[in-house]
Amino acid sequence: MFNPQTQKKINRFCQIKLGYGSLIILIFILLVSLVAELLVNNRALIVKYEGTFFLPTYAAFHPGTDFGLDYSYETNYRELQRKFLNQQGDNWVLMPLVPFSPNENHTSGSQFKTTAPSFEQKHYLGTDTTSRDILARLIYGTRIALFFALGFTLCVYLIGVSVGCMMGYFGGVYDLIFQRLIEIWSNIPFLYMVIIVFSVVPGDFDTTSRIGLLLLVMVLFSWTSMTYFMRTETYKQKSRDYVAAARIMGASHSRIIFHHILPNILSTLITLMPFTIVGAITAITALDFLGFGLPPPTPSLGELLKQGTANLRTAPWIITAAFSTLILLLTLITFIGEALREAFDPKKFTAYR
Amino acid sequence: MLKGLLTLNLTRYLSLLLLLLLSACSDSEDTEKNLDANKTPDNTAEVKAYYIDNSKFFSFKNLSDIPDDLVWENGSKLAEFGSPNAIKGGTQYSSLQDFPRTLRHVGPDSNGSFRRWILDDVSMSAAQTHPNNSNQFYPGLATQWAVSSKRKTTYIKLNPLARWSDGKKVTADDYLFSFFFYRSTDIVAPWYNNWYSTMYTNITKYDDYTISISIPNVKPDMHARTLSLSPTPQHFYKELGDDFVERYQWRFVPTTGAYQIKPSDIKKGRSITLSKVDDWWAKDLNFWRYRFNPDRIQFNIIRDNAKVFESFLRGDIDQFGLNLAEYWYDKLADNNESVAKGYIHKTTFYNQHPRPTYGLWINSSKPVLDQKEVRIGINHAANWALVIEKYFRADYERLRSSADGYGEFTHPTLTPRQFDIELALKHFALAGFTTRNEDGILVNSDQQKLAFTLTTGYEALKDVLTLLKEEAAKAGLELRIEVLDSTAAWKKAQEKKHDILFSAFGVGLEMYPRYWETYHSVNAYDQAFLADGSTNPDRKVKTQSNNLELVANARIDGMIDQYRASSDKQGMISLAHKLDEALYDYASFSPGFKQSYFRTGYWRWIKHPEGFSQKHRSGSTQLFTEWIDQETKKQTLEARQSGRSFEPEIKVFDQYRQDRNEGS
Repeated sequence: MFNPQTQKKINRFCQIKLGYGSLIILIFILLVSLVAELLVNNRALIVKYEGTFFLPTYAAFHPGTDFGLDYSYETNYRELQRKFLNQQGDNWVLMPLVPFSPNENHTSGSQFKTTAPSFEQKHYLGTDTTSRDILARLIYGTRIALFFALGFTLCVYLIGVSVGCMMGYFGGVYDLIFQRLIEIWSNIPFLYMVIIVFSVVPGDFDTTSRIGLLLLVMVLFSWTSMTYFMRTETYKQKSRDYVAAARIMGASHSRIIFHHILPNILSTLITLMPFTIVGAITAITALDFLGFGLPPPTPSLGELLKQGTANLRTAPWIITAAFSTLILLLTLITFIGEALREAFDPKKFTAYR
Repeated sequence: MLKGLLTLNLTRYLSLLLLLLLSACSDSEDTEKNLDANKTPDNTAEVKAYYIDNSKFFSFKNLSDIPDDLVWENGSKLAEFGSPNAIKGGTQYSSLQDFPRTLRHVGPDSNGSFRRWILDDVSMSAAQTHPNNSNQFYPGLATQWAVSSKRKTTYIKLNPLARWSDGKKVTADDYLFSFFFYRSTDIVAPWYNNWYSTMYTNITKYDDYTISISIPNVKPDMHARTLSLSPTPQHFYKELGDDFVERYQWRFVPTTGAYQIKPSDIKKGRSITLSKVDDWWAKDLNFWRYRFNPDRIQFNIIRDNAKVFESFLRGDIDQFGLNLAEYWYDKLADNNESVAKGYIHKTTFYNQHPRPTYGLWINSSKPVLDQKEVRIGINHAANWALVIEKYFRADYERLRSSADGYGEFTHPTLTPRQFDIELALKHFALAGFTTRNEDGILVNSDQQKLAFTLTTGYEALKDVLTLLKEEAAKAGLELRIEVLDSTAAWKKAQEKKHDILFSAFGVGLEMYPRYWETYHSVNAYDQAFLADGSTNPDRKVKTQSNNLELVANARIDGMIDQYRASSDKQGMISLAHKLDEALYDYASFSPGFKQSYFRTGYWRWIKHPEGFSQKHRSGSTQLFTEWIDQETKKQTLEARQSGRSFEPEIKVFDQYRQDRNEGS
């Protein structure tokens, strides 16, 4: 499937246990977070009502009236479960492991405030200042951060690689102008720019479009660093004989760039990738922490960190949970990155193991 | 040539170029401004001509023209406040969430939360409302005054000793100049333009220290209208022109009060410091001598409330408002080490003051929100009861209307709409929002979602909004929360760009509520109605005014005009009640919560006069009666090092407490 060179690199990567293990764990986390709705949700997994089965998790919302309740808004499945249990009939509800949604305020007492982790309440990591389940917010927040980072990396690579390759490949005036432009562009401080741009964005977008917009703005100000690597690499490859050969054979520019040069600079691309992801996760967390990221009440690591620092003395479980998650994620990705670098390193003997 | 290349081939980088050009331009603009400043315009002649042109308004007479039958008052029988034991000196440390955007008193961005430190709470007017008796006045710049209802005129004798902070004398001319200044369109403040043009009919100068001010109708609080006028330093505003906003942006306006800001104390983005005016003229004056005790009040900019609290715990900041339940009960609980050891004192003070209007201000000029049924629906979808009960831990009460806390002027029976999903759904349905989409949010026949942005500048209260959002979703209403920094949120509201704003007007101590500012159509649109009374289809939203709900209703306008013109207290009361009903009917305001006290925590070196505070005070620092005891500070800081403890102090002052739900 792969050419022997690549296969060798992959094998080498698999031999580095720390990186390989990290990759497996990260993939596992990603997969779990993809189906988070089945594990952490206030919608039931299965409801059996009057002989009919309902699967509310991914379906449109069920008003209370669907299950014989007297309200038209979303069914409270936890209450429904209790009700059915009390009735002791054929009806039953199966709730997910953590029966709370990330935005839901749920308290057993009379006040919304932080509560310590409790197995009895099923708040396994406790609740935040408005009695929202921290585990739920953590999982959904991590999912958003991870996919945001992946999307970010993809976009940055697309732009960075194409512009960088073109600069290196075409050279001359094109290279000169783009280099100057990129120098100017990259001197605009990225985080400030995101804050400024995002603070003037009108608020009438829904959460998904705001996340998209944040992604766009962040990509807009961070694609430049990629171009430096790509430009130099392409320059290097361009002067090689195989490029000249391809040219003589009449290959088009795009064919040369994408079929000949790009595969040869793949190792640079791949080794840089984990660090871009780490950067993206840190950036979105930082933005959320500062209050310029995703709008409330979107669950996010940054928002949890902020709450955690604000309630350091009264609710240390918030910061513990958020901080450990962040550390775990970043460490995993860094391990993968180091292993990739090692595996793709042409010099076989390096210090890292 | 290079530039030509760029524009030809790289149009997609045009935005970048623009950015570059803009930054280049701003430099040259600055230099131009500097050149302008060198010319120093002088408007003295213009002002004189203005007085002559408006000779009906500006009169010049002799002392002999003052009627003999006047009853002169000087407020000297009133009880003084503050404490004779107050120790002068020291620096008080405080914090601001955002650096003030300007030091101007008027014009764009000036109406922010910092203004009270340079104008409202510090500067002196002829006489001021007594904080323990809202119908009485104690002298400020005036030594004597006489109110003549018959002539609709107040006569004022100014204190010849009064000085501006730059040493110049305060004279009758500064009062006359106020009317020139506040009527000028150069200051970009339509509210002031209107107020000073319509609310007064004449100002007369008898000599340098005697004036009279007349108003169009006798009002029950005529005193307040005339005596609370402040002079405006004519010598300072000589350069008033159409560049006022930029020219005066960072220039401290000379004050008659105790605190000024020196240019060296403006550290942009970091801190701003008030310092005592050297040899302040009123330092030995009755009612003023026991106040303004610290030499300096330093405000550090700390954007995050949690950090402000941490600085307070460290002792970097002297006082911290503990109104929020989470601070009072959890973060600075009575068993907190600093409290238990007596380093930090906690106090609850019940006051009587018009309540800040916390609630949802619905912009009725926006599509969909312009339908009354939708607004009523939103009122029923806002679960304030839950917020008060569970988030504020039942410490607060529901605000009844935007005019709560004005005694008999407050509507006695009107209660706000309760959270009721069925009613909300009913009203939303009347506006065409009948079906729920797959997320449970209502949509109309065009598949338009019932979704609005809910903007706030109160970062500390953003949890309130998340609660409202969750509850509103039950009624099929989607609220998109937007938390901005306080200045940005206020700017957005002043430009009327919000859908729904969660905010509050800090209300001054007044006898009766104001409606014109917030509910008259002239503050909503330019030419709201055509000559025949129908709605003007081309009307433009009016920015920089306080009608944040964009209420434009001919009937309400009529009542407000009548209310403003009325001199009869009973008449005004009944009009106020009718207005409250009409506004309830219009449903653009969803009243939130109120609090009948304030709670504060402070280090033990901050000392307060006996009784802690005054009846009509809205916050602990408003009258500057507290002082810093340097000895105690030293002692406390040492004790904190050594672990020594003092007697803890957690006090409740309820001498001014009113029964709950009495309308405070």
